[in-house]
Amino acid sequence: MTRTKLDFIVLGVNHTTAPVLVRERITFPGNQEGAVSRLVAQTKGVEECVILSTCNRAEVIAAVDDCEDVSERLVQLVAQIHGLGANSLMPHLYVKMKSEAIRHVFRVTSSLDSMVLGEPQIVGQVKAAFKRDAAANTTGPLINRLMHRAFFTAKRVRTETGVALAAVSIAYVAVELAKKILGELEQCQALLIGAGEMAELTARHLAGNVRKPIRIINRTIENACVLANEFEGTAEPMDRLFDALASADVVISSTGSCDPIIMFSDMKAVMKRRRFKPIFMIDIAIPRDIEPRVNDLDGVYLYNIDDLQAVVDENIGERLVEAEKAGDIVDEEVRKFMNWNRSLEWAPTIVALKNKFEEIRIGEIARLNGRLAPLSDTERETIDILTKSIINKIAHGPIAFMKQSLKTSRHNQHIDFVQRVFDLNTFVSGSESAEAQIADHETDHRN
Amino acid sequence: MFFKVSVIFYLISAIIYVAFLLRSKGTTCVSGFCVVVAGFITHTTSILHQFWIQGFFPMATPFDAMSLFAWGVMAIFLALQFWDRNPVLGAMAAPIAAVLMLIASTFSYQISQPIIPVLRSWWLPIHVSFAIAGNSVFTVMAMSGAMYILQERLIKRKQIGRFHKILPSLQTLDTFNRRALPIGFFFLTLGIISGALWASSAWGSYWTWDPKETWSLITWFAYAGMVHQRFAFGWRGKKAALLAIAGFFLVMFTFVGVSLFLGGHHSFVDLCRETVPA
Repeated sequence: MTRTKLDFIVLGVNHTTAPVLVRERITFPGNQEGAVSRLVAQTKGVEECVILSTCNRAEVIAAVDDCEDVSERLVQLVAQIHGLGANSLMPHLYVKMKSEAIRHVFRVTSSLDSMVLGEPQIVGQVKAAFKRDAAANTTGPLINRLMHRAFFTAKRVRTETGVALAAVSIAYVAVELAKKILGELEQCQALLIGAGEMAELTARHLAGNVRKPIRIINRTIENACVLANEFEGTAEPMDRLFDALASADVVISSTGSCDPIIMFSDMKAVMKRRRFKPIFMIDIAIPRDIEPRVNDLDGVYLYNIDDLQAVVDENIGERLVEAEKAGDIVDEEVRKFMNWNRSLEWAPTIVALKNKFEEIRIGEIARLNGRLAPLSDTERETIDILTKSIINKIAHGPIAFMKQSLKTSRHNQHIDFVQRVFDLNTFVSGSESAEAQIADHETDHRN
Repeated sequence: MFFKVSVIFYLISAIIYVAFLLRSKGTTCVSGFCVVVAGFITHTTSILHQFWIQGFFPMATPFDAMSLFAWGVMAIFLALQFWDRNPVLGAMAAPIAAVLMLIASTFSYQISQPIIPVLRSWWLPIHVSFAIAGNSVFTVMAMSGAMYILQERLIKRKQIGRFHKILPSLQTLDTFNRRALPIGFFFLTLGIISGALWASSAWGSYWTWDPKETWSLITWFAYAGMVHQRFAFGWRGKKAALLAIAGFFLVMFTFVGVSLFLGGHHSFVDLCRETVPA
């Protein structure tokens, strides 16, 4: 039997296999237009390929005729492109073949292989890579299908599991908590005390949710002004602190002060001025800026950096649990894809079978041409339809038999059997035409 | 018949909702909601059926009043579903409706004596509707108060888990309290005024310090206090939520307890005593 099937292979480095030092060297430079992808696609044995390069991973995804054979050549090529020795690259490289390669691509696209599990950017990055390489003509029916199934899987994972739901950064957790306390944040007043880096990050995320200008209070007013410029907020000196607290809804504090700057008694007075309107206070400073006891006041919700980190940790745990469910979805999709991929194995046999029957039909009609001559055009047409219908009905049996056998482990023998029974010579056909034939059969059968 | 079916529906939905909270990981309980809707439809049918049987507003007997009360609570709950499909509210509303219905079913709905002429008055639908509307609003307000207390505790104690995530924000719950309080108070006031007017036309005197009258006045003062504290002193959040819960118990006592334990001329329990067949 002639080999007609291609396999998938993935090779690359990611954040778990290679340190930053290695990762930052393997970036497939100059691939903005797909030039490197074309180079890879021209390698002997490689039929189609996509190159994915993000800050946490660099991968070649390819459809090849022989995994073992091509993998060595690809490793050499990747090393060459980056001016590295293949030996120095090998320890960091993973090579996945066949179903493992498919699974890997599905997992990556579904963000199950990401450093931050469930982060949403990766789908966009894979899409961009695929679009670029499709434009560079290095993809074909197999990679196209693989990619579309990968995006479909990613969508299922996103909608059917909570893998991307729980917030996993301090800034996100802080904003989600603020929403649970204050409702929609648009009309809320945010106050930033001090100008630490972490506070800035949280404030930046918060600024995306509130519409009122952020108030910034700092011991040195100049620094406050710099930040105020950046956030389009207002800068105020330290002595306005308690006035600001009286009107703020979310407070982020991160001064470098050694002693707390907001004490229990201060805050008690502030709450009275606020008429006990709830206030969410985030103390990011170490040592603390806000006396912990302040949390006991009615309407004050005080979280420090450790509290927020604890929520982040819990959410990460939640994502891990969800990732297991996502794993089941990926398995299911890989199975479906493998079935499709296997169907390519018997497609040439179907083509040969149909061709053979058609040959017989045309031959027999030609042989009887003399006797058919007196018939009218419509009568000839009827004979045409009749004979076609007969061969389709006969072909249906063996085709259904082969399809059925896909579910068993002995499908190769079964295909071979069909070939021998009907004395077929299968020929190598492009997978695209094979796919078209399968589709044909399906529509035929429905008619 | 319809009534019994709706009780079963409410009980099932209560179980579904509670199980959903304890077991599931989702955020909306579709099955519970569907069963509640089924219960509400049969419940509405049962009320209309009573209307047809009695030939007058089915509001006079304790059975009918309890049933109507449960109906009012469910009506508000379902209206709120358009705004927020929160399973926690369902897990409170469905059991409360089921309990109210069960209390109602302890009274027989076979009326043992003809309804006394006093109750065959157009004041009946007016007075009962206002009173039931007020009670229903206060009941749902107490549920939202309970949700507030729970959410507040979770945030204060930094237990940011599943319950925290499915409960609405403190702001949402407090806004509900702020809006529901004057509405409920308005209905309660109208209920008492219409009751007094009716008493005047039926018994010849506006106010006789009957236990029901006394306790509804106490309830009125309690809610008047709440309205005042809320809008004049800015009591909000936890305090308002706790008061809403306390108010609910007062409402329940005035509505059910007084008739059962204190009697008085507003107690129509006798109407429902089953006559032993001779």
